[in-house]
Amino acid sequence: MPMKTSDFVVTTYSLTKTYQLGEMDVEVLKGIALNVTKGEFVVICGPSGSGKTTLLNIISGIDRPTSGKILVLGQDLAVQDEDFLSDFRCSRVGFVFQSYNLVSTLTVAENVAFPMEWIRKPEAEIETRVIELLETVGLQHRENHFPAQLSGGEQQRVAFARALANDPELILADEPTGNLDTKNGQKIRQMLQILKAKGKTVIVATHDPEIMQLADQTACLEDGRLTSQSE
Amino acid sequence: MSKAAFPVNDLLRRKTQTSLTLISLTVCVASTLFLLLFSDQIVFGITSIAENTLTVGYWAIFSNFLLFAGILVFAIGAVIISFITFLMMSQRTRDFGLIKAVGCPNSLVFGYFLTELLIVLFLGCVLGIALGCLIDYAVINLGAFQVFQKTPNFWYAPLVFVAFFVFGLIFGVRPLETAARLSSTAAISSMQYFGLSEGRKFKALSKSRLTMKIASRSLFRRQSVTVRIVVFLSIVFILLTVSIAGSIIANNTTTTWVEKAVGKDTLLVGHKNMGSQYISLLLKFSGAEEKNDFYYFDSNFALTEDVFQQLNGISGIANFEKRFVYEGHIQEVMNFTYSESSTIPVGDHREAASLIVGVEPKKILSEWFIEGRFLKNGNSSDAVIGDSLAAVTFEMPLLQSFRMQNATLNIVGVCLDPINNGIVAFVPFETLKSLNNVSDPNIMLVQLESSANQETVIMQMQERLADANMDLKVFELNGALEKNLSFLGATWTVIMFLPVFSLVAATLCLIGYLVLAIDEQRHEYAVLRVMGTKPKAVVTILAVQSLIILLPSIAIGIAFGVIITLMILMPHPVVTSFTIIAISGWLLTSLVGMFLLSLWPVLRFAKKPILKIMS
Repeated sequence: MPMKTSDFVVTTYSLTKTYQLGEMDVEVLKGIALNVTKGEFVVICGPSGSGKTTLLNIISGIDRPTSGKILVLGQDLAVQDEDFLSDFRCSRVGFVFQSYNLVSTLTVAENVAFPMEWIRKPEAEIETRVIELLETVGLQHRENHFPAQLSGGEQQRVAFARALANDPELILADEPTGNLDTKNGQKIRQMLQILKAKGKTVIVATHDPEIMQLADQTACLEDGRLTSQSE
Repeated sequence: MSKAAFPVNDLLRRKTQTSLTLISLTVCVASTLFLLLFSDQIVFGITSIAENTLTVGYWAIFSNFLLFAGILVFAIGAVIISFITFLMMSQRTRDFGLIKAVGCPNSLVFGYFLTELLIVLFLGCVLGIALGCLIDYAVINLGAFQVFQKTPNFWYAPLVFVAFFVFGLIFGVRPLETAARLSSTAAISSMQYFGLSEGRKFKALSKSRLTMKIASRSLFRRQSVTVRIVVFLSIVFILLTVSIAGSIIANNTTTTWVEKAVGKDTLLVGHKNMGSQYISLLLKFSGAEEKNDFYYFDSNFALTEDVFQQLNGISGIANFEKRFVYEGHIQEVMNFTYSESSTIPVGDHREAASLIVGVEPKKILSEWFIEGRFLKNGNSSDAVIGDSLAAVTFEMPLLQSFRMQNATLNIVGVCLDPINNGIVAFVPFETLKSLNNVSDPNIMLVQLESSANQETVIMQMQERLADANMDLKVFELNGALEKNLSFLGATWTVIMFLPVFSLVAATLCLIGYLVLAIDEQRHEYAVLRVMGTKPKAVVTILAVQSLIILLPSIAIGIAFGVIITLMILMPHPVVTSFTIIAISGWLLTSLVGMFLLSLWPVLRFAKKPILKIMS
């Protein structure tokens, strides 16, 4: 049975992105067409500079496409204003960076609580959720430490906990194991497995072959073009 | 790459940071130099406007004010320079560690960054000096300030250059020395930058408290930067308070002194020539000239008892005061004072031409700001002198006396009176009578009842005086008083340009600081934006940060500013409830103005796309 647009969590059509570098235009994404259904685990692969991060940034609403269409969770992100995109990122999308990007002035617990506090969830609910998430990532004993006091692996686990705080419908992760050693990388893979088992829609940009094995769909980018797509 | 090329290439690669630092340094050096040149030209301008005007006491208030403003302007510049270079080099601790980590020796890395610091400092100071001179030239050649035109005191340029270069170097080298002492791993770690300790037990917060927490944490983590900006702003607010409160209080006080000395709603009765001469003497304060060869002893000027009889019955007159005024010659008498069993001579034998005013001590209408005391009835050898006469002719006037027409008079007080620009001696009329062989006064001051209709009383007085002597006239002193007060007001207005320009410069420096501080924290804010913080919430966080540093600074600044104003600049202030309201209004307006202007870089930053902030 053919799928309707509303069945897709992410739909892109002829998506392009061009950056200006001095007087030169650099086309980073060239006519990307990608469909991601609910509960799907999608891996975006490709060499460095192929446009993986740019695609994730556009899907999360951090960046805007130069042309083409993008619908995420039913919203045309290309036409929305900054306030809408902020709310959208806070409540409906979880984002994990390769370089963790925790707020250095907030403690581990405060970093995890931040997206919930920002949408004014009840305080008791926030406190329960923070404990639950820190237990999930195994960092309950580090709740009052600051990011600079944690190892890279620990910081990435906090970043995952933060991304899951508002129980988002879509989780995006940009090379989540790229900066980690084997042991910490394994922990992150386990977390991705849990998310997949829970039926979350996950899009991961990665080179990690073990994460690729989790994929329901793999989209490979090369020089800004989608060169292969397998289900 | 050659060793020398690294610092230059590094600076060119970090275009935004380098240009921001360079612009901040240039603005700071330029504004300080301009303000010093401008204050020097204000002194020149006032001196040329006020040549042969103002008394020494009033002039001392103006010059103290300008001197203090100059010192504060210099201090503000020095603090901001040290702050900019400290911030610039603190941001390089991580890079220091990275270069060391790839095998560069400590001394070489130190040399690289020191060279960068020297290049930026040198360029900033040179550009600042050039820009400062240019602004001064442009401002002085504007229509309103042409009276200040003179060759600028170019000595300020090397002074500012050397002082600021040294300040910048000292404060810029400190973070480099710290980075050099650290191991590469410690220098790279953000632990070093944030100096973290464990946070308090977690408790969920409301959105507004979260905003407050993020804002305050950013400030307290960057303690040394925050302390510097609070010190800088405190000095700015001291300058602002001294400027605003000082000028309002000093203006009110000097106005009150002139008003009380001349007498408000006071009439002068005398021969038409004598009356005009007395008014000219009053107006010397604001630049008028009196007749030099005026003969005060003309028998036609004598106000005989008949005249007083004529005026006696007029209703509306509250009081009379008889004065005998003439120009005389006084000679300082040397005295001795005792200090720790030794005798110290005081004074010399200086001589001066002075206005001598004979008064009846008990019936005096004027009130003076006086050091010492006024004349008492019965003490015929006492005298009170004006502040200019005291400054020019005496060393310690209250310990001295002077000789006048073979009489020796003890100085019991020094007063501020605008008449004859303060070159005046008040002596008992009875003493003058015997010295000059005169029996009648040559002018009379008349104070009206507050309920009296001035025009009607003047008309009645004119009619009755005409019966006694056609040449006798009634003069209103309010006109002379107004001229003197407006001259005083105009002088203050000229001086007020200095604090206004200082405020503009301080605001520019504050904006420069915010741009640098925002640039330093931009990654943090980008992360907040990615996590769903709206642009206006980032503005709120930065505005709260701005307020957190502005409020303690204004508290410190106002406290010290008021102390300086009342204890150093204006020891005997006249402060009314209106003065307090005016000062509060001005300070509040300045605070709000500075706060709103400081939001300009914040608003620009908040509008930037997230990826641009992160890059």
